[in-house]
Parts: sequence; C-alpha cells; structure tokens
Amino acid sequence: MALNAPAEPEAHTEDKMKLKGKLIAAVLMATAYTTPAWADVNLYLIPSPSSTAIQSFIPAFTEKTGIKVNVTEVPYGEAHQKLLLAVQLKQGQYDVAQYDNTFLAPFGAAGTMSPLDDYIKASVDYDIADFEAGQQDYGKYKGVTYGLTLSTEPMIQWYRKDIYEKLGLKPAATWDEYKANAMKIKDAKMGDGAMFGWGANASWWWMTLVWSYGGKLYDENYVPQVNSAEAVEATQFFKDMMAYGPEGGISATGDDVTNKFFAQDIGAIVQYSGYWGVALDPANNAFVGKLGTAPMPKGKAEITHLAGWNIGIPSDSGNKDEAWKFLDFVLGKSNSVAYLKAGAAAIGRKSISTNEELLKLHPYLPLLNIPASSRIERYPQIRTWPEVEKAILDAMPAMLNGEVDIKTGLGKLNETLKPILAQEKAG
Amino acid sequence: MKTTHLHAPSWGNQEKAAARLAEMLVVPGWILLVAVFALPLLGAGYLSLRNEMLGGFTVPRFIGLENYLTAFADPRFWESIWVTLVIMVLGLVIQLPLGLGLALLLERPIRGITAIRTALIIPMLLTPVAVGLMWRFMFDTDLGVINWFIKHVFLDAPNWLGSRWPAVFAVTIVDSWQSIPFVMLIALAGLAGLPKGPQEAAAIDGADSWRIFWHVTLPSLAPVLLVIMMIRVIDAFKLFDIIFIVTQRGGPGTATQTLGMLTYNTGFIFFQTSRAAALGILLVVLVSPIYYLWRRAQRSDA
Repeated sequence: MALNAPAEPEAHTEDKMKLKGKLIAAVLMATAYTTPAWADVNLYLIPSPSSTAIQSFIPAFTEKTGIKVNVTEVPYGEAHQKLLLAVQLKQGQYDVAQYDNTFLAPFGAAGTMSPLDDYIKASVDYDIADFEAGQQDYGKYKGVTYGLTLSTEPMIQWYRKDIYEKLGLKPAATWDEYKANAMKIKDAKMGDGAMFGWGANASWWWMTLVWSYGGKLYDENYVPQVNSAEAVEATQFFKDMMAYGPEGGISATGDDVTNKFFAQDIGAIVQYSGYWGVALDPANNAFVGKLGTAPMPKGKAEITHLAGWNIGIPSDSGNKDEAWKFLDFVLGKSNSVAYLKAGAAAIGRKSISTNEELLKLHPYLPLLNIPASSRIERYPQIRTWPEVEKAILDAMPAMLNGEVDIKTGLGKLNETLKPILAQEKAG
Repeated sequence: MKTTHLHAPSWGNQEKAAARLAEMLVVPGWILLVAVFALPLLGAGYLSLRNEMLGGFTVPRFIGLENYLTAFADPRFWESIWVTLVIMVLGLVIQLPLGLGLALLLERPIRGITAIRTALIIPMLLTPVAVGLMWRFMFDTDLGVINWFIKHVFLDAPNWLGSRWPAVFAVTIVDSWQSIPFVMLIALAGLAGLPKGPQEAAAIDGADSWRIFWHVTLPSLAPVLLVIMMIRVIDAFKLFDIIFIVTQRGGPGTATQTLGMLTYNTGFIFFQTSRAAALGILLVVLVSPIYYLWRRAQRSDA
C-alpha cells in the first residue's frame, strides 16, 4: 500500500493531463469546425426570378472555389429595412445583398454597401464595357458604385399581337398613337384598349409620363416641380387613359397590371421588361405566343424609365473578397447566357442581346440596349424618395377620381413635397 | 416551563412567509413584463425625443418634443385618427348587433347547434393576412366574385379598392367578418351566465320576446357588451394586417391609413424611426383612457 501510495497521484496527474489534452483537442476541433465561417459567403436575397437564378450557381461556385455559400431569403416588404438594421448592428451577417434600385440612394447615404469600383476595375470577367454607357452608372450613388446590375428592366410596350393584327394596328411610337390604338380596340369591342397601373404603384407610370412629357419631379435645388404645365399635361393623359383600361385599373398595383394583361383582353400595357419571365409560363399567362414587345411610346422628350435590381456587398461584411468572387462568378460575362437561361430577369449586356437562342425566349432583349438618344431616368436617387413617392400616391386618387381637378391636386402635391425635399437639401 | 409550541412559527409568520413566496413566484412574470413591455415602451419614449432615422443620415441628437409637434402639424396624423375612428364606429355598428343576434340565435336549442357554432367561429381562427388576400381577390373589380354577383343583381357595382368610401367599407367588412364570431362567443358566454328567473317571470307576466330582450336580457348583458366594445375599440386602434393587405398599406391614397398604418409607414417606409416612435407613443396615449374606462367599468360592476 505504501509503495503504491505515491504512484496514485502520478496516475492521477497522467489522467488529468490526458483529459486536459482531450479537452484542448476538442476545443481546437470545435474552433476548427466553426472558424471556417470566415470563408463562407452569406447571401441575403429577395425572392424573385433573379434570386432563384443566383442560387442555381451555388454548387458550381463551391466546386470551383471550395467556398461554402449560405442563403437567407427575405420578402421584399421587409428586406431593405432588415438589411439596414443588420448593417447598423455591424455583425457582418451578410456578405452579398440584393436590393431594389430605389434603395440605392438611402443605402449609399447610410453607408450600407461597400464601394465596388476597385473590384470592377480589377476583374477580367465582369467587363463593365459590355454595358451601354448609360447603364454603367446603374449602381452608382454620387459617383461611387455600390451595386452591380442584377437586372435591367426598362419600361417597354407590351401588346397583344393577335388583337393588333386583326385591327391592323402597329405598336405605338408616340403617346397619341398609344391612345388612338386603345380607342380603336375599345370601339371594336375586342377588350380594353390599354392599361396603366392607377393604384398603389401609380407613381411608376405617372413619373414616367411626367418625364416623357418634358417635366421633372424637382429641380437641382430640390424644389418640387410637379405642378408644371408638362406635369399637368402628363397627369391629364394618365387620367384620360383610364377610359380605355379595365374598370379595376384604378386600384391595380404593378403586379395587377401584368396579371390582368395575362388574364383578360387588354390591347397593350407599358410595363417593366423584368416581368417577361412570368409571361413565359402558360400557368400564369393565357396568351403565351401572342405577346409582342416594342419600345415605350415617345412624348416630347425621349426618355427610358429604367428600373431593376442591384446586388452588392454590405459594408460590414467580413468576407468582401470572397463575396466579390461569388458576384464575379455569377454575374460575369462568361456566365451571362447561363444566368438568363436559369430564369433570371435579363441584364442589359450588349453581348447577349443578339444571341439567337435567347431571343427566341426573350424577344425584348434588343430593347435593353438603350440608345444614346434616349435619356435614362431612374427612380429619383434621393434618400427621401420613399416619403416623396408616398406623397405622390396619396395625392393621385383624388385627381384620378375627379374629386380634385388636376391643376389644384398637383399644386397641393407640390406644397406637400416642399418640406420633404427640404430635408434632402439639408442633407 | 417552556413548551415546544414556542418553536413553531406563528400564523402571522406563516402568512408573511407565504406572501414572500408568492412575491418570489411572480418575480419572473414581472421581469418578463418589464422586458417585453415596459422597456420597449421606455425605449420608444426615449427614441421619440431624438431624431434617429433607420438609415442614419443625420447625427442623432436630442430634439425634445419636436417629433410630437411635427405629428400635430401633419394633416396626415389627424386624417389617420379620423380614419381610425370611422373604421372603429362602422365596425361597432356592424359587429355588435350581428354578433349579439347570432348569440341569441345560437343560445336556442337548435338541432346541429354545435356544428353551426363551430362553422361560425372559423373566420376568427384564420390568419388575418390570408383573410386579407382572399378578400382582396374577391373585391377585385374586374375578376372578383363580389362585383360579379352585384352586377348580376343590381347592375352597378362599386370599385371597392379604388375610391375612398368603398375602400373604408371594404376594410370594415373584412374586419367584421373576422370579428363577429368573437363578439358572438363572448355574448353567448354572457347569455349563458344570466339567471333565467327574470326572463321567465317577465314571460309569465305576458311580455313578448322583444320586450323580454329589450327590458330584461339586454340590461343584464350590458356589462358584457361594454367589455366587448372596449376590446373592439382597442382592436380598431391596432388594426393593421387587414389594411396592409386589402388596401395595400392604407390606400387608395390615405383613405384607409389608420394611425397604426401611418406609424408603420413612417418607421418602415420613410425610415423616420423617431417620428414613428412619437406616433406610437401617441397611439398608446389615445388607447390608455379606453383601458382606464374598462377597468373602471369592471370595478363598478364588481
């Protein structure tokens, strides 16, 4: 017993050391297992055809680079607010984030996204020159690129080829022709002549018309200009067209315009090209094969209203280089055809607009190459845009319903916008 | 001589110990209440006195009551209160009589009453967002079943979601469809709790059904109806999801923009966090007297 006595503590010490070793190994293994998170790329996407297409590239990207990609999808209604909050908390939750171009200015002003100019310059595959000059600025706020173009969605004219052919009509080149075509279709009792969305997204069409009629929403000093003669004329046209649209047009949202056009006889609509993906599916569209596309009719000014998604790298991301690798892989020139084939809304690259195979499915692709003669108008790149847009939408129904005459309504709207835009000027 | 009972705790001590134990047991509840209610409310109060914006465009600072003054000077604030009150009053006018009427009907021993009761409470069990989407499609002027039916019967159908009053009625209809079962259930419980004696006595005295209802049942049911009214008034102030879906965040224009909706739009659409917090505090202030009246009514009833 006495001989064994000293041996016990030794064995005990040995056991303790073994246990300690095991513990350290376990901690190291756990650390080794969790730390590679730095190499993961976390995507923050908004459910859309573009988001689905992006996700289809993940296996190939992981196979090529060994970088794991995780996806979080957040519905549009809360996506931008949640992203702003996440970045303000600086937890580096997301490395790549999709956002609507309408949020470029608020995100740019708040420092939500990282500048991408150096990455774009250094990239061999992205090739910014493959975009028309006017579209190279699509993700820029105050001269800095905060987002790549994830979709190029100009407002274009969509028309029913069968109705137009029967009546011998041609797609309208001007707004007057657009109205005349609508009138003929209505008179021939072949359905509703044409449609805008006069409801919860009326601002999409109203501001397009204001720009097209030569007006503007505000001047360089952020003084509202929505009561100008051009804006009054544009609003009058917007209202007059209600007579040729479906009865429910007054409450139609942006999606409703597309859905009604795909479900009932409407001669033509003016809508973002990004909806074309929906048109390809017979489950959504009763008129597959009967739809044609043409440039948006011209007014006094030749403009193109351009909208779409952006995608970029949140400023708090800890894996910016890996994030760029992913963006470069998915949105680079090499994968641009595959990206569109994966169901995404088209990106206006010059190199794909003449691709025969793609044109069979997406006949509107040449319309994405916006001519230099057409001034590109985007959603106003001001951080107060959401409040400005809400004020426009609040003012619109009374004018469209005839409760207020257009001049008075726009005068009142102009006054409402003054304090909102003053905040913009104050910075 | 000392006796053992000196070591046993007195009744007073036992009561104190029990009271202390009871206090300890409710502590987690209080902590939870403070964490999920009091702290956010205090946080909102603090936020409402600053100029914070979700995008952080300006350097946040203390601005006192400026957000409240901005709200009072904003016509949208007063209009949203008006819209809230209109929807509340219209809702009460529809929901109380119909809910009570159904309760009176279902109180009678009718064959298959359980199945009927179950069927009638289904709207209450559905998710408001799903209900909103369903009704939004039904209200569609071109493709909706409601106007399809109205046009077959009356020829002239309103554009439900396209102009002010039809939109207000549309919201009220959807809210009522979901809330009437709640009114019915509470009224039914109230009716079940009433003593039958006075009604039977009135019947023996020769009173007809209407007189019995008007002079005996309704006065006895008044405290229950008051509680229902208070709950529905508070619910009207909170009404959000149905409006969000059916009229797309309070449209057309501001026709159905309630105070709750305006608060949401200010905070999450305009990113004006502090202004939204001030509106939220004002909403609490507006609802508080109703809660106070309710408590008072309960006390006087007791």
